[in-house]
Amino acid sequence: MNDMQWTPIGSEPIPPPLPPACVDFSGNRSEFRKMVTKGAMLELVTFGFYRFWLVTDIRRHLWALTAIDGDAAEYTGRAKELLVGFLFALAILMPIYLAYFLIGIEFERWQGFASTPLFIGFYAFGQFAIFRARRYRLTRTVWRGVRFWMDGSGWAYSFRAMAWGLLVFLTLGLALPWREAALERYKMQHSHYGDLRGDFEGDGWTFFKRAWWLWLLSPIALFIFPLAPFFYAEFKARQWRWWLDGIRIGDVSLSSNLPHDAFYGLYWKVIGWWLLLSTAFGFYIGGATMLAVKLGGVPAEEMFTPGNTSKSIPILVMMVIGYFAVALAVNIIMRIYLQRDLWAKVLETVEVHNIGAAADVRGGGQIASALGEGFADGLDVAGF
Amino acid sequence: MSDIFAEAPAQSTKPTIFYDGTSSRRRQVTLAFGDALEIAEEGAAPVRWAYADIRRADSPPGILRLACTTAPPLARLEIRDAALAADVTARCLRLDEHRTSRRGVAKIVGWSVAAAVSIVCVVMFGVPLAADRLAPLVPKPVERRIGDAAEVQMKTIFGRNGCEDPAGKAAFTKLVNRLRDAAGLDDDSMTAGVLPTPVPNAFALPGGKVYVLKGLLDKADSPDELAGILSHELGHLKHYDNMRGLIYNGGTSFLIGLLFGDVTGSSAVIFASRSLVEASYSREAETAADTFAIEIMHKLGRSPKPAAELMFRITGKEGGSTLTTILASHPLTEDRLARMTREDRPASGPPLLTDKEWQSLKLICGSGKV
Repeated sequence: MNDMQWTPIGSEPIPPPLPPACVDFSGNRSEFRKMVTKGAMLELVTFGFYRFWLVTDIRRHLWALTAIDGDAAEYTGRAKELLVGFLFALAILMPIYLAYFLIGIEFERWQGFASTPLFIGFYAFGQFAIFRARRYRLTRTVWRGVRFWMDGSGWAYSFRAMAWGLLVFLTLGLALPWREAALERYKMQHSHYGDLRGDFEGDGWTFFKRAWWLWLLSPIALFIFPLAPFFYAEFKARQWRWWLDGIRIGDVSLSSNLPHDAFYGLYWKVIGWWLLLSTAFGFYIGGATMLAVKLGGVPAEEMFTPGNTSKSIPILVMMVIGYFAVALAVNIIMRIYLQRDLWAKVLETVEVHNIGAAADVRGGGQIASALGEGFADGLDVAGF
Repeated sequence: MSDIFAEAPAQSTKPTIFYDGTSSRRRQVTLAFGDALEIAEEGAAPVRWAYADIRRADSPPGILRLACTTAPPLARLEIRDAALAADVTARCLRLDEHRTSRRGVAKIVGWSVAAAVSIVCVVMFGVPLAADRLAPLVPKPVERRIGDAAEVQMKTIFGRNGCEDPAGKAAFTKLVNRLRDAAGLDDDSMTAGVLPTPVPNAFALPGGKVYVLKGLLDKADSPDELAGILSHELGHLKHYDNMRGLIYNGGTSFLIGLLFGDVTGSSAVIFASRSLVEASYSREAETAADTFAIEIMHKLGRSPKPAAELMFRITGKEGGSTLTTILASHPLTEDRLARMTREDRPASGPPLLTDKEWQSLKLICGSGKV
């Protein structure tokens, strides 16, 4: 069927609307698990430096196994770019921290704790980083030999994010849907696939109507703790669906029928694993202490007195090893459930309409540097 | 046009697709193996890719996706037929040359470990050395500015106005001056005061500021107790501990953040390792300040023991677990008491304050409650 459509060159009557194209994710779960397990271990022995390679491998895996209308995407970013971006970001952030420190002192001289608002500056920087990091990822995304790209200004985005953030703060979170819509519109309107321009048609009101009751109920979760994951999962599912429904690229549009309870299982599995690991860690520490008491011949109460430091060192070492093992396991679990499984779950609900509009797109756009990812890494902000 | 495909049914069921890297047009092509790979689309000139330039690109299983280093960077050839893919793979010898190999991973690990070791060495030896050397070189005005900022903060927490009762103030100044002369601190800008708060503590700020909180004054039973604590704080001033701490803390948190990839240092690992490293550094500084206090008290012919007794009355026995010992910023009070007790000597000098002066010092914040 596709052959019929693509082979003729030159003018031809517009084909009748095709049924929506699917997005397939054909990733093998155990392959992904092996990849992140190996990656997490390498991350441990490299003191975290391997994260650039692991993140790149994960993206390459997810992108390459995601096929839109039968053609798989490709992630062309490389780990070295991320490393260089991180080092550049450090070089820029270092003097900024120093300046922050010095200005902070002047403010403090004037009034105690007057420098606290300066921290807002870092929030603005974080928003800038989020925009630029998305730009990096988008420009490394290739489908059918044409890349996505992005223009627009990170600082203009940051300014919008700050202004909307203030409004959300003043309205106790009620303005959040409109903030999301406005920021996504800015990002999508500056996104391109070749010569097709992106847009975002989701509006705040729709999002608000879908999620307002969660805002009302959220205080309950402060008292009945087990409800919180349900609320969060519910919110995230509604947010994803609203976001996907709003995406446009040229005349191509997306839609999703993601169920509102789609993420319950994912979040509870993560929590379950986390509880299991914490319990195991508790038993491990208890067992280690008992063993040390038996072998060392020092009663447990005296084990930690200053005189017995040499005896308590083995316990400390075992604690540190246990801590790293737990951190490693949590790392793997988060990546499997909250990256891979979430990705698969969301994509299987997505339909692409009028994909024919992207059949002959002229490539264009410049690739962006990984500086934004470096900032996001250095400032520890996550965004999408 | 279509009869070509009729002759090669294998190609029409599993088509070979070419993207030329300038457009997203899906071009169905046939391949020919000459001295280079010839990619031919019906009705267009064939594209030639030299075998040595062809590289593998990421693809889902069942598809061989190729790129070419001399073609436009996004040009892709997708071969879905397994036999054809095997043919092409056999001809392209440098297909996987750009991939991260086992050796590449080993290289990453090696360099990371080297970087980590060098950062750890700098944190352990370089930063303390830099802090010790740099702290005395910080210009006085800069130090004073930092001190001013800290002072404003402290006063915001502990009460805006210091205690100003004239008789008490005179006694306090006398005590501080005697200690200062004994300490050999010739900083004429040194200021000392009492802040009206029930917290029992005392601290030194950069730029020669020493503050005693009223809670400590209330718990003190003799001038010697207070004098020992004050001379400990003077020891911090004498050793530039504030500036050293500032340089040291800034340096270590930056470097440890660099190691774990988070400059602000907010994650748990960073927090944990930072507290360990910094606490040990600050314990050293505290021990040195104690040594200094002992020296001064001896010089004045008084015993350092009462000060430790005052500390012990405030904190009680502290040692309990290894964790608190390792994370504590000060040496344990019982250890300090033991040390000062060893240094206990009968008084050989005159009392630092007369009874009357001591009484008025106790009332420096007024007789009422805070």
